Amino acid sequence: MNTALLSRLTESDSLAVGVLGAGNIGTVHLKSALVMPGVDVRAVADARSENRARAKRAGVSRTYDDYATLLESEDLDAAVVALPPFLHADAVEQAAAAGIDVFVEKPLARSSAEADRMLEAATDAGIAVGVDHTLRYQPDVVGVKEAYEDGRVGHVPYASITRLNDGALGRPPATDSPPEWPLDADAAGGGSLLELGIHCFDVLEWLFGDLEVESAAIGETLELPVEDAATVLLRAPETETTITLHCGSYQWEQLPEVNTRLRLEGVTGTIANEEYLPENFYASAAKSAIGNVAGRVTGDDPDVFGPTFYLRAHYDALAAFFDAIRNDERPPVDGRDGKRTLELAEAAYECAKPTGSNDLEATEVTL
Amino acid sequence: MSADHGGSHGHVRVAAVDAGDRTGGWLPDVDARMATFESSLSAILEPSITVIENADRIAVVPDVHYPFHPSTGMVTDPALVGALVSHIERRGDAEIDVVGAGTGIDADRTAAYLGYPAVLERFEATFSGIDDETSRTRVVRSVDDRSVPFAVPTDLLERTVVVVPTLRPTESGAVAGGMRTLAALGDETDDPDATAVAAADIVDPALSILDATTAYGGTPHAANAIFAGPTAPTDAVAASLLGRSIDEEPALSLALEDGARIDVERVGPEARTLDVEAIGDRLSGGELPPDGDMHPVVTAAYRLYAAAGRDAVPPQLEGKGDAD
Repeated sequence: MNTALLSRLTESDSLAVGVLGAGNIGTVHLKSALVMPGVDVRAVADARSENRARAKRAGVSRTYDDYATLLESEDLDAAVVALPPFLHADAVEQAAAAGIDVFVEKPLARSSAEADRMLEAATDAGIAVGVDHTLRYQPDVVGVKEAYEDGRVGHVPYASITRLNDGALGRPPATDSPPEWPLDADAAGGGSLLELGIHCFDVLEWLFGDLEVESAAIGETLELPVEDAATVLLRAPETETTITLHCGSYQWEQLPEVNTRLRLEGVTGTIANEEYLPENFYASAAKSAIGNVAGRVTGDDPDVFGPTFYLRAHYDALAAFFDAIRNDERPPVDGRDGKRTLELAEAAYECAKPTGSNDLEATEVTL
Repeated sequence: MSADHGGSHGHVRVAAVDAGDRTGGWLPDVDARMATFESSLSAILEPSITVIENADRIAVVPDVHYPFHPSTGMVTDPALVGALVSHIERRGDAEIDVVGAGTGIDADRTAAYLGYPAVLERFEATFSGIDDETSRTRVVRSVDDRSVPFAVPTDLLERTVVVVPTLRPTESGAVAGGMRTLAALGDETDDPDATAVAAADIVDPALSILDATTAYGGTPHAANAIFAGPTAPTDAVAASLLGRSIDEEPALSLALEDGARIDVERVGPEARTLDVEAIGDRLSGGELPPDGDMHPVVTAAYRLYAAAGRDAVPPQLEGKGDAD
């Protein structure tokens, strides 16, 4: 973080924040920031007028139709980058030029090389880079981590993680045209592996330390330009754990249930994230809502997005980033973590490449 | 099996699709799936083959409303369309187009995701997506003493049409069927039932082939059967299989004469073992999954709670009018 920004932060009670991109996840970040203590959302940028209108209804006073103008026009401490991946690098570089810290939606970039470029710009400008890898903020995943650190099942020779949803293509009755960019490798950097697998890589390294990709398979259930399924075999040398990862954008998702399964098979038993999910999402939501309403009387801070269970993780991830930059600390999930997930994804893509006949050398027979 | 609506007679044929190698109810390989339709297609097409042989230009109209995986039963299996095109090419020299329309999504994009270009490149057939640029002819039909317009793709008026719906319900609960598959080729309408009847009357398909290889009735079901017959009677059979009363299906009530009777004839090598009633038992009452949109009362209650609890309203709970 540069000296000028530190000076600005210490002079002000609130962080001045801009939100770049107000689609679905951008709106979650926006609404988190709007109710977050010590945060002042100055402006939102989105190319779509309906998203700008929604941001205004949420309480934002100024909106822009492009993020570059917002970054030039507003005096900000931090920006949330919730744009499609093909715009992340440009947005981060422009924020860096303006000395603005950035919290970037995953994937950080479309490739580790692009991430390198972004992180170099960030280092040169002295800005902090955080990445929205939310799985490690989910209560069920936190529960697994705590049980594992507690040694509850002893040595864990094998672990598995699965994350499935319906991706860019919806479930019936889907009537809206799916966006183009998530199905465009140039725009998104890849398919399911970058959309969902990247979260899994982050959680697995958080649990087990550095990972090595042993093998991988990717595929498409439809004739899509990007993969909608990937399976990766990993090895964690530090813990001597073998891990399988499967992610896919091919399965109809029925909210409030979310198909993320994390299992650690230990010597004395299993730790599964399902143990830490609410038995009944609706009862859990009601309990959280009642607590928030009661908190108005008792003066307790609300559990923002608490009734939704999963969205709370986005709030916590953003709050942790803002706390870090306030205290001039390294963000808990920073650009290096984001880049590392991209390196693992690239290793998986490399492993999954078919070995065609062209790769084989012709056998020579000498008589 | 027969669907009794009294009156005139409708005749629908059904044949079992060879399910021998369909482990898990689905064969991922499209060529292998196409091969499974050989005998069943021959059996159900037999009465209509003269029309097909004599046609100069044929349009095959499958359900391609959205790129759902064909193993869900929510769209026509492109392999059935490929097998049909192959069959037609062997029996005549008609020029064949596969024609379809998307719901909110470009049909050519849907067709590409469903693999139609790869299937059709085996033959001398192409996919033509219907869109705003498609030349149309506005035709008016009298349906239930009302004048109902339909902007039919002009090219279809000059072709022998085979419509190939899949066996599934619509969002409204009605059966999707051939009439609605044809209606989807036109403009949006405030009167979908009458428009479906008008569309079928104007396009006047030579045949409707109902893809029940995988059907959707609350969940997918590998029914491994295909039905064929005139459009409205075949839709009536589809409605019956989904447990809908024909009298409660407005489009069918408009299309079929009072008292119409529809017979279903089992044909093909597996005719004796084909259990149509079991298909109906499995699918009856099946609907699409919940749309995921919150009820307006729930979204209103959440907003009220959020104001009282100082919470934020997530985009999923803003209500349709407020979301992007």
